[in-house]
Amino acid sequence: QSKVVTGKVTSAEDGASLPGVNILEKGTSNGTVTDSNGQYSISVTDNATLIFSFIGYKSQEVIVGSQSAVNLTLQVDVTSLSEVVVVGYGQQEKKDVTGVVATVDSKSFNKGAIVSPDMLMTGKVAGVQISPSDGQPGSGSSIRIRGGTSINASNEPLYVVDGIPVVSDGTAAGRNPLNFINTNDIETFTVLKDASAAAIYGSRAANGVILITTKRGKSGTPTLSYDGFVSVGTVAKKYDVFNADQFRSIVTYYAPQNLKYMGNPEAADVADRAYDTNWQNQIFQTAVGQSHNLSLSGGTDKTNYRISLGHLQQDGIIKTSYTKKTNIGVNFSQLALDDALKIDVNVKGAVTEDFYSADVIGAAISYDPSHPVYDAKSPFGGYYEYYDSIGGKRVPKVNSPNNPVSSLMQSQDVGSVLRSLGNLQLDYKVKVVPGLRFNVNLGYDVTRGQRKQFLPSTLKAENSPDTGKVVIQNPYKNSMLFEGYINYTRDLKSIKSKVDVTGGYSWQSFYAENHGYTATQLSTNIYGYNNPGVARKTIPFDPLSTTAIPSLGENRLISFFGRVNYAYDERFLLTVNLRRDGSTRFGPNNKWGTFPSAAVGWRIANENFMQNQNIFSDLKLRAGYGITGNQDIGNFRYLGTYTPSDPQANYQFGSAYYTTIRPSGYDTNLQWEQTASSNIGLDFGVLQGRLSGSIEVYQKNTDKLLFTRAVAPGANLTNTILTNIGKVQNKGIELTLDAVAISTTNLTWNVGFNAAYNTNKITQLDGNNDPDFPGYAAGDNISGGVGNKVEILRVGQPVNAFYVFEHKTGPDGKPVNDNLGAEDKTNMYVDQNNDGIINEKDLRPFHRPAPRVLMGLTSQLNYKNFDLSFTLRANLGNYVYNNVASNSTFQRAGDAFRPLNLITNSLRANYYTPQYFSDFYVENASFLRMDNLTLGYSVKQISKANIRVYATVQNAFVITKYSGLDPEVSVSGIDNNLYPRARTFVFGVHIGL
Amino acid sequence: DVVFTDPAAYKQSLAKVYAGLAIGGQSSGDGNSDISGIDGGFSQYIRMYFNLQELPTDEAVIGWNDGTIQTLHFQNWTSQSEFINAMFNRVYFQVSMANEFLRQTTDDLLATRGVTDAMKADIKQYRAEVRFLRALSYWHGLDMFGSIPLVPETNPIGTDAPGQPAGGKQDVFNYIESELLAVEPDLGKPKTMEYARVDQASAWMLLAKLYLNAETYIGAEKYTESLTYLNKIIASNAYTLDPVYGNLFLADNHKSPEIIFPVAFDGTYTKTYGGTTFLAHAAVGGDKMKPSDYGIDGGWAGLRVTANIVNLFAPADGRGNFYTDGQSKDIPSTPNTSFNQGYAHPKFQNVSSTGAPGSNTTFADTDFPMFRLGDVYLMYAEAVLRGGSGGDAGTALGYVNQLRVRAYGNTNGNLQASDLTLSFIIDERGRELSWECHRRTDLVRFGLLTVSDNSDPRAIWPWKGGESAAGKQTQAFRNVFPIPSAALTANTKLKQNDGY
Repeated sequence: QSKVVTGKVTSAEDGASLPGVNILEKGTSNGTVTDSNGQYSISVTDNATLIFSFIGYKSQEVIVGSQSAVNLTLQVDVTSLSEVVVVGYGQQEKKDVTGVVATVDSKSFNKGAIVSPDMLMTGKVAGVQISPSDGQPGSGSSIRIRGGTSINASNEPLYVVDGIPVVSDGTAAGRNPLNFINTNDIETFTVLKDASAAAIYGSRAANGVILITTKRGKSGTPTLSYDGFVSVGTVAKKYDVFNADQFRSIVTYYAPQNLKYMGNPEAADVADRAYDTNWQNQIFQTAVGQSHNLSLSGGTDKTNYRISLGHLQQDGIIKTSYTKKTNIGVNFSQLALDDALKIDVNVKGAVTEDFYSADVIGAAISYDPSHPVYDAKSPFGGYYEYYDSIGGKRVPKVNSPNNPVSSLMQSQDVGSVLRSLGNLQLDYKVKVVPGLRFNVNLGYDVTRGQRKQFLPSTLKAENSPDTGKVVIQNPYKNSMLFEGYINYTRDLKSIKSKVDVTGGYSWQSFYAENHGYTATQLSTNIYGYNNPGVARKTIPFDPLSTTAIPSLGENRLISFFGRVNYAYDERFLLTVNLRRDGSTRFGPNNKWGTFPSAAVGWRIANENFMQNQNIFSDLKLRAGYGITGNQDIGNFRYLGTYTPSDPQANYQFGSAYYTTIRPSGYDTNLQWEQTASSNIGLDFGVLQGRLSGSIEVYQKNTDKLLFTRAVAPGANLTNTILTNIGKVQNKGIELTLDAVAISTTNLTWNVGFNAAYNTNKITQLDGNNDPDFPGYAAGDNISGGVGNKVEILRVGQPVNAFYVFEHKTGPDGKPVNDNLGAEDKTNMYVDQNNDGIINEKDLRPFHRPAPRVLMGLTSQLNYKNFDLSFTLRANLGNYVYNNVASNSTFQRAGDAFRPLNLITNSLRANYYTPQYFSDFYVENASFLRMDNLTLGYSVKQISKANIRVYATVQNAFVITKYSGLDPEVSVSGIDNNLYPRARTFVFGVHIGL
Repeated sequence: DVVFTDPAAYKQSLAKVYAGLAIGGQSSGDGNSDISGIDGGFSQYIRMYFNLQELPTDEAVIGWNDGTIQTLHFQNWTSQSEFINAMFNRVYFQVSMANEFLRQTTDDLLATRGVTDAMKADIKQYRAEVRFLRALSYWHGLDMFGSIPLVPETNPIGTDAPGQPAGGKQDVFNYIESELLAVEPDLGKPKTMEYARVDQASAWMLLAKLYLNAETYIGAEKYTESLTYLNKIIASNAYTLDPVYGNLFLADNHKSPEIIFPVAFDGTYTKTYGGTTFLAHAAVGGDKMKPSDYGIDGGWAGLRVTANIVNLFAPADGRGNFYTDGQSKDIPSTPNTSFNQGYAHPKFQNVSSTGAPGSNTTFADTDFPMFRLGDVYLMYAEAVLRGGSGGDAGTALGYVNQLRVRAYGNTNGNLQASDLTLSFIIDERGRELSWECHRRTDLVRFGLLTVSDNSDPRAIWPWKGGESAAGKQTQAFRNVFPIPSAALTANTKLKQNDGY
């Protein structure tokens, strides 16, 4: 019995027909291929199953049953071996890649109301940790690829957007400099992780490179699509603080002298004097957001174009904060000169606006709940505030806390940034020499911003002695790029070889400035930040005199680079990269640095002995070694410079005040930080490619570490100097797995999993390895005291290991209490050196902020018209210093200025005096987080329109033992009143015409 | 070098060497700090000098929890103390600023830059002042750290720094002495310079202090030499006692006829969180004290005195400026527990002698009297009592009684010749010079800072030793501070002080 089945195969990506698709009747050798229109016809037996396969697409099996027509849409296979990946200065077929290159494309991006582009790939790439600095809308992130290599230079990767290396350090006027990219325009992220992949970017590649490619038009009928969503964000978790009654009993017990400050003594009616204000409820809001994107793309075989328009608006969960952005993007490409010349033009522009809410989380936790929010008699904008009566006038009570609602609602602080980036790329194929082409890339990247802050005189903090304040800053940056390279590709069939040689030159300049002024003693508040002319005092700030040395001035980078790819017999691969960079950041002896790399690959799957097995569909072994650099340290660090003093930091001689000039310390021999990294990797595919993945083992040794070390007394003009000294080592293993778990006509399920393990160690810090030297205090200052640091840099320890006392545990299982301030800390802390006293010699390194293990799990399930996807992410072995808790001890109730409320968690330890250096506050912050969960429904083909509606929950849940609000607290590892992350519900629609 | 094409740069550079004593960095409120690793205002020179000279003694306790600050009063500090490190770094910052000034003003360089002759004459004087300021910081270093490296200005930047000199403290002593003697002729005559610039009297005073403490530093008696220079100051007739003791510490103390060398502060043009801003704010706290009474916008609830100091004062002694309302004299709990334990001592204030507040209620206008005539008188008496020649007991008694008359407002507090003993001097220095950063040096000279050979009860004060409110003696090696561990690491030629 047989019958004829016909049908058409199309691509899921763009609906185009697919010619050349292999169709095989399962279990037989009966097969055919689709014609140029994607049509096919095949004669099969009853109950046959057809297997459709095509390079670059996922194979699908279809049970024919009674059907006589089987039309099929093939899904693009992102793990496909024939996939072309973007590498520095060109593209490469994935099968030929020898370095560690990971790609995340738009289909697997994280879903939801995402403002910041990097959040699209969180959890998707093994060994890439993306930590948002906090929960502000559109906040920036810190990205660590395979752990940080540096201590004092930047640890952020280099971003290359459509071929232009961009400046990713922020300006004063925006939260995240990368927000100018429309998330809807991004086609792929490509992460170059190891030196053999990244060395082509030389001195900037030590922390890896992230290539961002934006979407382009495709030939065919014009496609118009709309993507939009609305989102609602809620506070995921609040601090549990004492209510007014509970707090009153705490004050009664610990500091009865402070009871008189509670309530609202001004209220006429005694009953009105007791409030129970939940300050956190007063500062949080439901954050509403919306986003609309329109794109039009199309083209012919000579021309294609894509134009996109986007607008996004996202409120923060703290009142007043928001981010807004409006993007426009144009990509145009044209073939000319008989198709020899390809012209690509990209222009992206965005206006972003960020409203910064006042920093009120700490105040909302600690402000006495027995006070009202408002006070009709208050001269402070009508808000309740602590005051002293002087001459019948209310003046602010100094050092008392500020009403968080007043701070929030009365201050204005908005930054707006216009950023545009574009390039013109010409690619010319020399027809007389097949395989030879020239490529020229001219690019620009300009950022102009303004930050305007207005603090009215009715704010308690501004009320005296300077009345009101306006701060205006005008950051400006630009970067110009010229690059050219020659590429020659040749397939030498006679010797079974393929060569691909690239050589080029690059020139890039970076200019940055920030000027502005502070105006105080405003004669009126009515103009807000718009008319600082009403100020009686205006202090222009000259960026030369501030610490912002890296943000003023220009630096240039001139580079020569080359690459040779050689493949023999589709089995043996060799890649050699070389880049030579010259930077104006270093002195004459060290201007130039050379960054070589080499890698080899062995495609085992193509060996003869592999042809008779059917376990592995792919097997490739890779090994690479290379040196990359880091120069992200700011300008002029090798030169003696003079810093003039501010007008308010002058010195008096006689009756005149003189500006002082200070010579700054410098190291003329400053040079590149170098990271030598080696990597061994194995790529594999089994079960006909349904399960594929890779395993990587790497080691990165950073030498000539740019490190600010102590100076021998009197040897320089400062006590610490940035110099090249010290070594850091990172070692790790990465595993990436992609599985097509189910693939049938109605049901497909793809699962991606990645895991990475990284350890980091300082192997040398100073020229001398004095065993008695404990190391350098490190990390951000904690809140509490001045200049207290709880992290250390010590040889043999990870970077920024916590450095704390070992707290003794009492019989009740709780940390031993301090009994109201008795000084004998030997009861509380372990005397590590047994000298009978507890001092800083008894501190010891204890865990570290960086996670040991990163894991990500992505699932995409399609059933008929429904799709369900989620991303789960886990960090293990990361520790956080809970500064909110360490500050919250009962001494606050007896604060000399006003009683301060506590988190209820304070009862856990019951400390009276703060124990900032106790390991009790270094908490295991390992977590499992569901970043997003999306359910979608595709309403296909309603009068040719593709419509999909979906709902997403972002930050659906977090499982952690950490006692604070959120275990993910930016790379510093110190949790101090961070802007909390929202839980966001998103409803969206995609319409494609 | 481009900077010095502008001749004004020389005076601006000079101003920086002075300003290094007054403000922690190049911007308002000690921003853009001169030294790193610690907050600029927190580590301001005079503030650090106060912390190290006063907190380890009976004159001051502090109510804060900043890092290791409590170890200063407890006398259980270690070489890792960030405060000790900051003081050390401030000393060497001054040294390196001075060295750079001297490098930039050599005759050869000035010639190549075509500096005018008039300017050259000014610069000659600047160089003398800079060398004085360098000697001053070296003296602070010698006093607090013992033997310390001497860095010649001929060393180019970034080259290896020397370790301690071979002859130890003796070499440091000799160097300071020779520098002061060398610059003396180039400095201005007393009171002929612009306000706040040093003159010969400053150099004489520093020499006198160096000699008075010579026994501590080099084990040799130099009281005669001390008297020689004290006599020069007195003989210059340039200074007189301020008629009102309290005015020496107020916002308009630049008018005081008594101050020989001030560190100038200004609430508008020299905004620092160190110096007298710190001294005025940190001394105010509790419920009862009104910050506005002291010309400040709020108290920092930090500094108080121990009962030992309070007990030195007779009720009629007007110098005993203690705030007692709501405060207890004793300090039963550790000093960081409550501001209300221990009397407050608002000696430095940001109000003028007429009661007007300073130009800014956050930053004080009050100058810090580094050297003043009252100290000269007490040093004179002490040098005479310790056997120096060139002075006599009668004159000494006269000087001391001038201070007593000012303190009491009458002659009721005057001494008889037999009352004038060394034991009286150390107590009188506590009364006259409290919180003026002399106490640690004085107690070391009198053998009272750590242990007392003759079981003098003055060597015990509340919380000394860090164990109890009663206090206890500590070990003698703490008469100097340790060389900071950061410096030892950065320069392996440095040797740690004994005991640390």
